[in-house]
Amino acid sequence: MNIENTQSQMRKGVLEYCILAIIRRNEAYPGDIIDEMKNAGLQLLEGTLYPLLNRLKNAEILTYRWVESTSGPPRKYFMLTQKGEKFYELLESTWTELSTGIDAVIKGNYKKEENKPNNNTKQ
Amino acid sequence: MKKVININFQGQVIAIEEAAYELLKQYIDSLKKYFSREEGGEEIVNDIENRIAELFGNRLKLGINCITDEDVQTIISSIGRPEDFDADYHDFDYAYGEKVSLQQVAATEQPNDESAENAKQRTLYRNKNDKIIAGVCSGLAHYFKIDPVWMRIAFVILFSVLFWVYLILWIVLKPETLETNVAKRLYRNPNDRFLGGVCGGIAAYFKIDAWIPRLLFAAPLFLNLMGMISIPFFPWNKFFDDVDFNWSINMSVIVIYVVLWVIIPRANTVKQKLEMMGEEEYIKSIRETVSDNIANVKSKADGGDNYTKSYLATGIADNSEKIIVDSMPPEPPRHQTPKAYVNTTASSGNSGCLSVLGIFLKIIFFTFAGIFAVAMTGMLIAFLVAGTKFIPLKSLFIDQGYENTMLWLSVALLFAVPIISVIVWIIRRSMKAKSRPAIGIASIILWVVGIFSATMLGFKIAEKFSVESSTENVQALSTFNGDKLYVDMSNYPSDYYLFSSGFGPGTDLDNFPYYTINEDSLLFSNIKLQIVQSQDSLYHVRTISSSSGKNLKIAKRNTEQFTYPLQQQDSLLLLPEFFSTPISQGFRMQGMIVEIAIPTGKKIEIDERLDDYDNFTTNSSVRRKLKKSRNSKAFDWDYGEEYILENGDLNKTVILTDSI
Repeated sequence: MNIENTQSQMRKGVLEYCILAIIRRNEAYPGDIIDEMKNAGLQLLEGTLYPLLNRLKNAEILTYRWVESTSGPPRKYFMLTQKGEKFYELLESTWTELSTGIDAVIKGNYKKEENKPNNNTKQ
Repeated sequence: MKKVININFQGQVIAIEEAAYELLKQYIDSLKKYFSREEGGEEIVNDIENRIAELFGNRLKLGINCITDEDVQTIISSIGRPEDFDADYHDFDYAYGEKVSLQQVAATEQPNDESAENAKQRTLYRNKNDKIIAGVCSGLAHYFKIDPVWMRIAFVILFSVLFWVYLILWIVLKPETLETNVAKRLYRNPNDRFLGGVCGGIAAYFKIDAWIPRLLFAAPLFLNLMGMISIPFFPWNKFFDDVDFNWSINMSVIVIYVVLWVIIPRANTVKQKLEMMGEEEYIKSIRETVSDNIANVKSKADGGDNYTKSYLATGIADNSEKIIVDSMPPEPPRHQTPKAYVNTTASSGNSGCLSVLGIFLKIIFFTFAGIFAVAMTGMLIAFLVAGTKFIPLKSLFIDQGYENTMLWLSVALLFAVPIISVIVWIIRRSMKAKSRPAIGIASIILWVVGIFSATMLGFKIAEKFSVESSTENVQALSTFNGDKLYVDMSNYPSDYYLFSSGFGPGTDLDNFPYYTINEDSLLFSNIKLQIVQSQDSLYHVRTISSSSGKNLKIAKRNTEQFTYPLQQQDSLLLLPEFFSTPISQGFRMQGMIVEIAIPTGKKIEIDERLDDYDNFTTNSSVRRKLKKSRNSKAFDWDYGEEYILENGDLNKTVILTDSI
């Protein structure tokens, strides 16, 4: 089992969610997204961001507009579509589910509820 | 000393070290290759380029002179190389809503993509990037790593043979954008051109002066024109006597030029010029003009481009070692920007001379190709129909057993395979099945096997004619009363049937041997009749039978098997209508010479019926034999006339009586 592989798999799963979160807060161009991710301490290879944005755009989750820039070529500012909004909400609920669940698993909090497996995630 | 160039990158003027530029170019190429598989791949690359341009801009704003190797390295490592995000990125290959387990994707997708990368090197494609018609030649050249021009020349020269190959490859191969993989290529030189730059390009390619190819092209035209002009009192066109104004030569020179014009791409970009001249040569030519350009650059800098200005201000003053190449001397200042690469895919770009002429020629080509295709199909059908006529002749050339198998194999593969594959292609197209190159490659292989087998068979057949031999047979006629021999023909006693090619009267094919009624022998009328002087007082008949064969033994045996019975009734000599050979011999250019030797003072008359003989021989062995053994020459004579041999000469008796 390759540790790096596992790590990158973990990151990958949430990358999309993070990006959508950033864009949802404020329309952003890829440079912003990278900066924000970096500031938050999340490593991101820029080369993977562009294709991902492109795919989200093709799936009509994102849309963009061109904005002139003073320091270089015009930039693509991305924003969420309505579909994207829903998509994000779904991701968000999944994430809350996951994070609380995983938290619980790791801390062993769920043990007490062993006979009520349905409630696991709602703690 | 490091060279710095200015590039126009996504609308930004960027000063960059040449090495760094190369690195950047490679990197962007690798991205392009990587993302080419994806929908919107070009857009992705474009986004990344924009980002790089922005980062460059930020870097230059800090006041440094130019972008260096390290800057590019840093940017590359922050964006990542394709191999870095290979693992990361492929797992995003999800269709929304469709559940694919990550593991599965990783397991199946990844090896595929790696092999796809390699496969692009190894497999045959049509090249979208560099094409005249469909990119077949260019794709083939890419596959064999040679200059596409040679491939095109081969296809033009062997048009008749390779037409089908081209068509099939066009149908079978998938189009793909391929980068050139040869360092040096033949281009048309736009900087040194008279018409289309063909000669200039050839000169650059072979590193010779441009007037040499020009002279070669112009000389025939020039010489012919000289030959046409005659000056009074000085008929100098006599010097050009043997170079008549020869349209075929002139036309072929013109045609060659135009063909080259069409098939050789123009060197438009700096990269292509490098490929055309070889790097050293090109850089030399740049260096020569650099000094002129510095002045230009300066005035331009005053014009107000910020980047250039700041760069020049620092660049020149601080570092006089640097060579500044702003506007490339033979080229507008735009070094080929990576952006331009993206566009070359869309426009057919460097093919054709003028695009209008290119389109025009394409239309002509398609028209001709269409006509040609119809004609070829017609001919194919005609051959097949006519071919059935030749089936009775087949056994004369082809032995039973493996030669026969080879024949049918060749026919089937050569004719049936293209037809079937075209039909299959049409069906698959109309059913919108995925194109499967394997089918095409298989049919090409089968077709090539067909060619191979036909060639082998051709050699086998030719081998049967490789050796010639002959057999001589002399027979003295018995004495008879009177001094005149009358020679007539005895008809073949029973029925026979003859082969008719059906291609109109009098074709050579109708001289093929006839069959006896029970098909055990062949009948030939390939007999040459001649008269010579006898060495004694008797009439003699000498027959020389000749035949070809695989080896001397067989050829000799064939000649010994000829049947040609003479009948003598007093002074009447009957020659058979045919000589016959066993059918097992097949057709081996059998022939016979019948030589009648006539003693001095005797007369001879040959009946007109013997005119049916073909009087034809090509057998060299026979000619040798005649040359060796003939003491006296063969006389001229006509059918139905009486001749007398006097004083070693054959004279008409009628004329003699008249003169008396």
